[in-house]
Amino acid sequence: MATRRTFIKKAAAGGALMLAGGFPYQSLAGERVQKLTILHTNDVHSHLEPFPMDGGKYQGQGGVAQRAALVEQVRQQEEHVLLLDAGDIFQGTPYFNLYKGEPEIKAMSMLGYDACTMGNHDFDAGVEGFAKQLPHANFPVLTANYDFTNTVLEGKTHPYKIFRKGKLKIGIFGLGVELHGLVSDHAYGNTKYIDPLVTARTVTEKLKKNEKCDMVICLSHLGYQYDSNKVSDMVLAKETENIDLIIGGHTHTFLDKPMSVINKNGGETIINQVGWAGLRLGQLDFVFDSKKGSKLANAQSVIIAKQTRAF
Amino acid sequence: MGRITAGLLAAVFLLSACHRPYYIQEHHDQFYSVKNDKADSGFVNMLAPYKKSMDAQMQVVIGHADTTLYKAQPESTLGDFLADAQLTMAQKIDKEVIAAVANYGGIRVPYISAGEITLGKMYEMMPFDNMLVIAEVPGDVMKHFCDHIARAKGWPVSGIRFDIVGTEARNIYIDGSPLDVHKTYKIAVNDYMANGGDNCDFLVPLKKATTNIFIRDALIAYVKKREEQHQPLHPKIENRLQYGN
Repeated sequence: MATRRTFIKKAAAGGALMLAGGFPYQSLAGERVQKLTILHTNDVHSHLEPFPMDGGKYQGQGGVAQRAALVEQVRQQEEHVLLLDAGDIFQGTPYFNLYKGEPEIKAMSMLGYDACTMGNHDFDAGVEGFAKQLPHANFPVLTANYDFTNTVLEGKTHPYKIFRKGKLKIGIFGLGVELHGLVSDHAYGNTKYIDPLVTARTVTEKLKKNEKCDMVICLSHLGYQYDSNKVSDMVLAKETENIDLIIGGHTHTFLDKPMSVINKNGGETIINQVGWAGLRLGQLDFVFDSKKGSKLANAQSVIIAKQTRAF
Repeated sequence: MGRITAGLLAAVFLLSACHRPYYIQEHHDQFYSVKNDKADSGFVNMLAPYKKSMDAQMQVVIGHADTTLYKAQPESTLGDFLADAQLTMAQKIDKEVIAAVANYGGIRVPYISAGEITLGKMYEMMPFDNMLVIAEVPGDVMKHFCDHIARAKGWPVSGIRFDIVGTEARNIYIDGSPLDVHKTYKIAVNDYMANGGDNCDFLVPLKKATTNIFIRDALIAYVKKREEQHQPLHPKIENRLQYGN
């Protein structure tokens, strides 16, 4: 919460400066500068309720109603918000055993998720089980490296989707983990797994070069990092050129700070993951400028924060 | 020709000009710990009918633990509980079963707190409808199996002891005797592993007997039996698997 306080403080300072006539180009900055807030979860695993008050490490933490209150708070403060999930929505509490994912997906729709990807456990009720819950989803399921041809999910997911937030064009795609050896063969059926690196290169080239997205986000269920050379978010970040942000999952990694990686293009790719079970909600605020390479002073960057728009 | 080219160029320019590019200049990050203090009542109401029916079935106390059980590697009290429950159930079906192995990733809770154990907690620990399978494992495959467990930094076992040295299992004892590569062992596993899950491809071709018993039901039966005998779960590490040299 410290960051939030600093941000508001900066906002107040910026406002005061502007009132004093410190920014003659306020309107210019308003045009030029855009802000985007990303809220994210991963591996919620059917944890719709907080952990029970049983003296355990996580007691009283998590819960979808509690997450909703936080999301609402951020939406009140920020104009352009994307709420994303990196997969493994299903499996982990009796909710899933009894209701097969219906309340999980309904809750995500109510929360206003903008997109999710599929984790290995989202196959636990088979492709049929996942497809059955899709009518409850008012958000797209993004996965670029599972080929669902000849399964009931054929045509029901998208490799990527482009979101427009303010003046920004944001391309989001999804990547899933190798299913063989991890998910029962009968559960994934005819689903074909395609190399995530090859897929990522093709999709991001399209999003950055052809679609001219200002930002490319990967919803990944590959896992943060491995001892072996198995493909992970770290590998993906280093071996591709066009990904700005990877919202990760699968390894249930609690990152207190996002990881910043130099990608193949020499640019920055950020990786973040917030553990599991809905214990945390991640927030990343991005400030964009239409002028390349211009470093914004902190005071300027907050002009677009919602609470200061009155100025 | 020139006019067409110019027109095309203009069209291309117009198309690409539709979107003025923006560049990331800076980013800030933070996270929220989701806490109990503020809840959106709309979600509480949405969940209520699901929760009511679920709690009626799941908030049933089936036993007790006198100490908190934890999930860890190479060995943990939750892992021992799982493997012991698996072995106990398998031995009811076939007395020749002498050991049990479970995959570490199959335990889905980080801990089970001391005190009452509910049926729901067993669903959280083992949410999968995995079945108990009795596999006939030849000694050489058993060595490979133990190495696989060693490479994975330790899985829940019962009736098996060994040292993990680097990526290898050493000083392997099965049911108290050193591993004999010429013997065949009956080992209780789950169907996920038996079908090659968690990269247990070496189990796929083996002779196996699939029971129709959920691993979760083996856990429930184990806890209930202890409760009947007025013996709460009393977890303690037994050095079944150790990192060593």
